[in-house]
Amino acid sequence: MQIAFDIGGTFTDFALHDPADGRVAIWKVHTTPREPARALLDGLRARVAAGGLRPEAIDAALHATTIATNAILERKGARTALVTTAGFRDVLLIGRQKRYDTNNLHLDKPRPLVRRADTFEVTERVAPDGTVLKPLDEAEAEAVAARIAGGGYASVAVAFLHAYANPAHERRMAEILAARAPGVRISASSEVAPKWREYERTSTTVANAYVAPLVDGYLAELGRSLRELGIGAELSIMQSSGGLVSVELARAHPVRIVESGPAAGVLMCAEVGREEGCGHVMTFDMGGTTAKLGAIDDGVPATTPSFEVDAVNYRKGSGLPLSVTAIDLLEIGAGGGSIARTRMGLIAVGPDSAGAEPGPACYGRGGTEPTVTDANLVLGYLNPDFFNGGAQRLERAAAAEAIERAIARPLGLSLEQAAWGVHSVANASMERAMRIVSIERGRDPRRYALVAFGGAGPLHAGRLARALEIPRVVVPRGAGVGSALGLLTAERKVDLGITRVLRLDAGQSEALRATFAELEARLAAEARRMGGKGELAVRRSASMRYAGQGYELRVDLPSGPIGADYAATALRVFHDAYRREYGYNDPDAPVEATDWYAVATLPGTRAGAGFRLDGGAGSGDPVVGERLAFFPETGGMTPTRVVNRYALAPGQSVAGPALVEERESTTVVLPGDRVSVSAAGNLVIAIGDAR
Amino acid sequence: MSAIDPVTLTVVWNSFVSIADEMGGALRRTAFSEAVREGEDFSTGLFDRQGRLIAQGNFTPGHLGAMPYAVRNALRYVPPEQLEPGDMVVTNDSFLGGGHFPDVFFVAPVFDGARRLIGYTVNTAHHVDMGGAHPGSEAVQGVTEAFAEGLRILPVKLVRRGEFDPDLLRVILANVRLPEKVRGDFLAQRNANHVGARRLLRLYAEYGENVIESAIEEILRRSEARARELLRALPEGTYSFEDCLDDHGPGTGPVSVRVDITIEDGVATVDFSRSGDQVPAGLNCYINYTRAYASFGMRIFAGIDVPNNAGIERVIRTVAREGSFFNARYPAASGGRASCQIRIFDAINGAMAQAVPERAMGAFSHWANPKFGGVDEATGRRWIMYDLILGGFGGRSWKDGAEALCPVFNCANVPVEVHETGNPVRIHRLQLIQDSGGPGRFRGGCGLRKDVEMLSDGATVVLLGDRHKTAPYGLFGGGPGTPARTVLIRDGEETELGSKEVRRLRRGDIVSFRLAGAGGYGDPASRSREAVREDVRDGFVSREAARAVYGATDADLA
Repeated sequence: MQIAFDIGGTFTDFALHDPADGRVAIWKVHTTPREPARALLDGLRARVAAGGLRPEAIDAALHATTIATNAILERKGARTALVTTAGFRDVLLIGRQKRYDTNNLHLDKPRPLVRRADTFEVTERVAPDGTVLKPLDEAEAEAVAARIAGGGYASVAVAFLHAYANPAHERRMAEILAARAPGVRISASSEVAPKWREYERTSTTVANAYVAPLVDGYLAELGRSLRELGIGAELSIMQSSGGLVSVELARAHPVRIVESGPAAGVLMCAEVGREEGCGHVMTFDMGGTTAKLGAIDDGVPATTPSFEVDAVNYRKGSGLPLSVTAIDLLEIGAGGGSIARTRMGLIAVGPDSAGAEPGPACYGRGGTEPTVTDANLVLGYLNPDFFNGGAQRLERAAAAEAIERAIARPLGLSLEQAAWGVHSVANASMERAMRIVSIERGRDPRRYALVAFGGAGPLHAGRLARALEIPRVVVPRGAGVGSALGLLTAERKVDLGITRVLRLDAGQSEALRATFAELEARLAAEARRMGGKGELAVRRSASMRYAGQGYELRVDLPSGPIGADYAATALRVFHDAYRREYGYNDPDAPVEATDWYAVATLPGTRAGAGFRLDGGAGSGDPVVGERLAFFPETGGMTPTRVVNRYALAPGQSVAGPALVEERESTTVVLPGDRVSVSAAGNLVIAIGDAR
Repeated sequence: MSAIDPVTLTVVWNSFVSIADEMGGALRRTAFSEAVREGEDFSTGLFDRQGRLIAQGNFTPGHLGAMPYAVRNALRYVPPEQLEPGDMVVTNDSFLGGGHFPDVFFVAPVFDGARRLIGYTVNTAHHVDMGGAHPGSEAVQGVTEAFAEGLRILPVKLVRRGEFDPDLLRVILANVRLPEKVRGDFLAQRNANHVGARRLLRLYAEYGENVIESAIEEILRRSEARARELLRALPEGTYSFEDCLDDHGPGTGPVSVRVDITIEDGVATVDFSRSGDQVPAGLNCYINYTRAYASFGMRIFAGIDVPNNAGIERVIRTVAREGSFFNARYPAASGGRASCQIRIFDAINGAMAQAVPERAMGAFSHWANPKFGGVDEATGRRWIMYDLILGGFGGRSWKDGAEALCPVFNCANVPVEVHETGNPVRIHRLQLIQDSGGPGRFRGGCGLRKDVEMLSDGATVVLLGDRHKTAPYGLFGGGPGTPARTVLIRDGEETELGSKEVRRLRRGDIVSFRLAGAGGYGDPASRSREAVREDVRDGFVSREAARAVYGATDADLA
């Protein structure tokens, strides 16, 4: 059996998979932020006590965690030092220098994780091609190591210029540090993120160093706790890239697990796509404070070679860049708790959020500003008596009062029109984000399905699908524990990238062979650390551009032996991809390749794929009632059927307008659309099908 | 009550802004030149059929206020009735457009299915080179008139029915140093206008002409009203300030920068007439350029929070005497006018500090924007390295100036590793300069030092900097930052260079840029002792300076 658990900010979610019958049991407990392992143990113990879990039967434990993210967001990582090439001490402070908001001169840059006083310089120099221009000054290196040893640091990052091209100096510096400052964790940029652009690489390496001691302790504690319970199975950790790795590898590169939970959520969407026969999926996760949007092409989640953490209002350029592969998610400040207000006679929503405390006005916990959730309640989409499965009552009067006061009266609108305005403006910002993820990145939404989850996702998905001409919306079962389910379907894999800037012509196959040989040797070493045996399934890709461009396009390259025509193939692949992405290409222009990637998947993965959830019996009349809900198509507040999701059987369908209620969320089915339950148990809305 | 409901208006307005942003995304992703792709030195805009600006992408402010005039001017040469679907009118004229030749505007009409004109998508991008005396077409020294600055393109239909006119293109590319980059950026510019047109058409189809047209009227009306309201909140009066630029090349005197800002009845008039005369060097500001940064400055000080459009343009007026430095007459040379934008802002800042002290800050560090170029001996390839060395912000009314952040315009730097990979240079250091930030209750940001060595003979550097002679001022008792220096290190010997020189370089030469520190805000004696101690700990301020300038005691620094 496999146990998967995702420790999030509010809840710790569990999914237990029994391969014998493919069934999955899901449950959740409140997270204990100070000692995350406690909630985990409580949740497992309760299950053991109830006889639902035999620790000795567990053969894999899969885990997604926010520990690394929180350490960065709350600046609670280890006291960390940084060692740079002499003359470049300020690499973190200087950064890329662009304001994330042009019209704000009172803003500040992200606060680096290492302050200037904790940054040390050492004389050394490597050229872009890896040639040593100045050897590492051993005496200086020894002196710096001694200061670090005596400085009370728990961790140190080493990031020298062009170390991606030649790691010798960083390695030597690490040796000296290891000898002089035993017990201090060492992260070298050539190991953590051997990619060019010194600020981004240094930022990544420093983040790795900053979270490493914490992640070490956390994973050790987790392992102990599981063993205490009698679970001896190896623990696997979800990386931001969507691959599971061993504890040993997660500890070696903790910066790779920063987006652990969201990555698992996207994997769940991929699995749902497989169940529903759609390889192309747009993912839409809308929670309390933000919405996260992603894409899956041919069953494979889109990834990005870098992303930012700790951004201000989700604005690009305001956070700390991390050059590690991650499932590509666009996050915007539009969630159920996003606050609505008027400005210049218009409606504005977010990016600030009422959060969980005080929460939307309708929570009755002191929130007075209207939020998206308040609008959804006023519009009749939410059931005040069945929020979170009835665990929480919503106060419609409070929501109405807030919207009336802050939106309706100032704009001279009726209450429903005002609430509709808030709902639509939130939709518009999500539509804009979805457009970026789809059309701007060369994806035709008409060929995709939209998988919506999170507490608020299914409320907005129908409108979003219409705006983008997406023909089908899927609301997965068990969406409330999506990341935990996603873990069950994850692959065990390792992925690496490296920078080698190369003018790519047809005669360069040998250089490509050498680069991939180096990369794949590293991969094999990491795979061995995960206990991977035998042939690895390796997928390759590269970032390329027309010489002179500054942004690269990442393209997949063929696997297998690299022959004399490999470079020519790579060129062709790039020209084709460029045309797909931008609508034109330039076959005569010289091409440059900058970064090289390889991903290896280990055998015996996706243990829990194809699971079945215990859910609704699908008996009786699924329509359990009727209430008024707002649809402009039908002239405003409209009697709308309320459907109990758990009573909806495969094959049955209901035409919109309808509201499908389940514990974690409510799905709004628009007039003209039709909802049904698939054989796999997912809700599927066919957009425009009931017209 | 307007004809259009608030919900629709909100959504349509957001869509206009998002179209302009999307155009920028397309332009950046497919551009070739560093200025565009890393520096975001470009703008995108959406215009209605009357040629009024409806929305502008949030990129460089360098074209704020300039773009509407450029569009109007382009359409004077090629009137709308001569335009067909897929055509684009292109100009880089300094007077008609963005103030110097490297800024090339692409104006594309958008037609609906019935071939009726519904508006324009427009973008402008800073090109790496437009020919002329020196690489980058931005030299100051020795460039006395525009004819030496490269190719001047009066508005022409460079794109006809979606395709570049091959003859015109040949003429243009024959005149520039890096034709493949210019061509690549041209393609990206055409692409961006296509993307915008597609979205605009969809929006029209979705909402219908009536809704869109009344939305446009409403957007312009409300934007103007909002901007007026914010300007009215400023104390009325005339506020003046005087500053200067170092010179207009080696051996010349300062260029005086004088501004008088009048705030009256919700309108701001920014008048540079009392400034010096236009100069015989590539530094002059054409009025469109002056207007761009005057608009930006007033936007900041009035706190205008509405995306830019024609409505806002109505309430910020920029004036300068014709023939003055800030309203130069053709054929004034203007390649290096970018060096003036920070000073335009500094002058407005100094004036507005009298009206709204809490919104003002000490003067910026300024910048260095050198262009290196030549033919690489090792590869035989022609190269141009465009660099942006960006210093600190002045102290602000409630916190220190940001370190190493782009002032006024908004560009990213180019990574050292990228520069060294693409050009025959070695960069020896890039670091903050201790004790350079103007002291104050809130300290100015530090200057930045960057040392660049030539690895190839026969290179030229075109310097574009300032604040070598007049230090960035402090405000309300805050001290000035240290002045800037540019030093040529040859065989161990140091030679001071002017801020706007053109120099031939040899292999092994090092050009060392040492930017000014930014100005402080408030009396340094009132700076918190903790802040002084932390500055010393981090090395922004030396112990000696902490004692001498901030009056720190040993106990303070312990």
